[in-house]
Amino acid sequence: MTAVLSILHESWLSLRAQGLFKLTMGLNLLVIVAFASIGFTDTGVSMFFGLSHADSEHVNANSPWAKLLYLGIFSAIIVNVWLAWIATGLALLSTSSIFPNFVSQGAVELTLSRPISRTKIFLSKYCGGLLFVVMQVSVFTTGAFLAAGWRVGAWDPAIFLAIPLITLFYSYLFCINVFVGIWTRSTLTALIVTLVFWFSAFSLRTAENLVTRFVYSTEIQMQRDDERIGELMHQIETAHGPAITTFETRLDEQQKSLEANRTAHEKLEAWQGPLQVARWLVPETSGTINLLKRSLEHDASATFEDLMSGELFRESPRRNRNADFEADAKVSDRENARPVWWVLGKSLGFEAVVLAAAIWLFRRKDF
Amino acid sequence: MTSDAAITIRDAHKTFKGGVQALRGVSMTVNRGQIFGLLGPNGAGKSTLVKILMTVIHPTLIDGDLLGKPVGHRATLRRVGYLPEHHRFPVYLTAEQLLHYYGGLEGMRRPERRARIGELLDLTGMSAWARKKVGGFSKGMQQRVGLAQALLHDPELILLDEPTDGVDPVGRREIRQLLLHLQSQGRTILVNSHILAELEPICQQVAILVKGKLAREGTVAELTADRQRWEVEIDGPEPTWIDTLKGVDCRTEGTHHCLSIGGDAAPMVQQMIDLARGEGRTVRRVERIGESLEDLFIRSLEESGEADAATPGAASAGKAGK
Repeated sequence: MTAVLSILHESWLSLRAQGLFKLTMGLNLLVIVAFASIGFTDTGVSMFFGLSHADSEHVNANSPWAKLLYLGIFSAIIVNVWLAWIATGLALLSTSSIFPNFVSQGAVELTLSRPISRTKIFLSKYCGGLLFVVMQVSVFTTGAFLAAGWRVGAWDPAIFLAIPLITLFYSYLFCINVFVGIWTRSTLTALIVTLVFWFSAFSLRTAENLVTRFVYSTEIQMQRDDERIGELMHQIETAHGPAITTFETRLDEQQKSLEANRTAHEKLEAWQGPLQVARWLVPETSGTINLLKRSLEHDASATFEDLMSGELFRESPRRNRNADFEADAKVSDRENARPVWWVLGKSLGFEAVVLAAAIWLFRRKDF
Repeated sequence: MTSDAAITIRDAHKTFKGGVQALRGVSMTVNRGQIFGLLGPNGAGKSTLVKILMTVIHPTLIDGDLLGKPVGHRATLRRVGYLPEHHRFPVYLTAEQLLHYYGGLEGMRRPERRARIGELLDLTGMSAWARKKVGGFSKGMQQRVGLAQALLHDPELILLDEPTDGVDPVGRREIRQLLLHLQSQGRTILVNSHILAELEPICQQVAILVKGKLAREGTVAELTADRQRWEVEIDGPEPTWIDTLKGVDCRTEGTHHCLSIGGDAAPMVQQMIDLARGEGRTVRRVERIGESLEDLFIRSLEESGEADAATPGAASAGKAGK
């Protein structure tokens, strides 16, 4: 245990010595201050501690939606944009050199020659690398928790879920980084491969969602075509004179539309299958982060998206929306309905496989 | 029961990926309490052998013991100190933090480490730099801290790969004295070095590796015995009795003659002195000349038929490249 603690302590000292760690921490605090500067008045929303104000009849200090907006800004914007992209990018830049430096000639001998197994060294060093994110997100989340409590009285400990979730998300990328770092001993190669993997996983998820959205959209349109065809056939039966020709022309157009949608649906389904299989193989980067939003909105009667799109205050029912809008909602519902074990289980399974390969490489490699 | 040998290696082989044969059947023994010099040109396999003992490199084949346990037995490494060649310390740590880190890896508790660190920084002359970052240290200072980390956990066996690399002459002498001091405490020390003159006065035993094979092993005296000779320098013309003395060579040096005879030939030397004095000649010099470790080293390279052995790169069975 002393050896493991020594490696973790050394990792902490290494992070503390990095300018990028301090810079990211400073930026984190800046983002939290900006988040805390958002407040609610009787007439709307104030920003920058009251320097700017936007009137809103729906969202104000007396509205039940203020809390939804505030926590939504945290989970959907700050976490999704700042932590999941910018801070993660900075963390990757900062930690990519950990393993290549560690396994470089002259450095690795001093650690491997100790009475501690290579697996233990590897795992301790790996956890040491994750410290960067744990430290950053912990400070960030504590700030967000205090700001949310102060501004909207939402003393919601679920905010702290951001610490394990963001760390997990980062670990999916870091395991690739470590594997390549040990294999090639090159910081640059490890960083580039990790970035390529990250964008590939993101693109795969986006592509699968996009194709599924179109599949849903064509299904809805086919259903509507069917309904319209039924209506037109009924109208033809009951119509007289030249109106029949008009209805027949419309029926013909509707049938062509149905055929076109059916063809598109079949083509899209042919893509959907392989994309779903491919998505099974990669970790759920966005899905893991989305768990935080799901957790914060679990007992809310509406979502942040409904609030931002104005859907909450619209009187028209959902079924009157166009097919694309409905398909979007269906995809979103599908993503939110994915069980936690699916999101985390397959992602952790992926990480375990990559780490096992990295440990195998680290154990058998000559340095 | 403890064996007399601190290190026993039988038939060590290491072939790297790509076919580079770094070790080709090395066998040797390092006895407890000795300072053992491991010599060889670049690429001879010295560092590879030490790294195998320290589990940094996996051997292709080895049958050997380290402090009575099979090579690779991890718990035994707690009893071994190691200073690798061209070591690179984390530059952001101070000397004190660095020693705490490596002490922790050895499983030493903090209070134990604290006491030991102060002692070792004193011993290596680094106390004044305890709180300074290692990144700002000279090569010699880093070498001293390196020695301190190797000694931190009070090891029975110490493996030092080029310990005086980058150290100034005063520092080198201090390191030699330190090694003798450690030996006097009963520790065994294996030193891997290119600087033969440094090893000669302190090593009881040496082994010479050439292209992955053991060319010689033994005490310096044993290995150089057959190259010892006596020289007697006398005045006057070439002595006529020279032909009566078997094995004596004579060479003229100005107005003097230098008589030379190989091996342990003290009685013959006595006879030469008597004969010279009997003719009224002045005996200017009587000297027993031994082969230096450097001479032995060069001779080993020549005799092993490895004319290019002193060039960098290990022996290659095929396409080279690690």
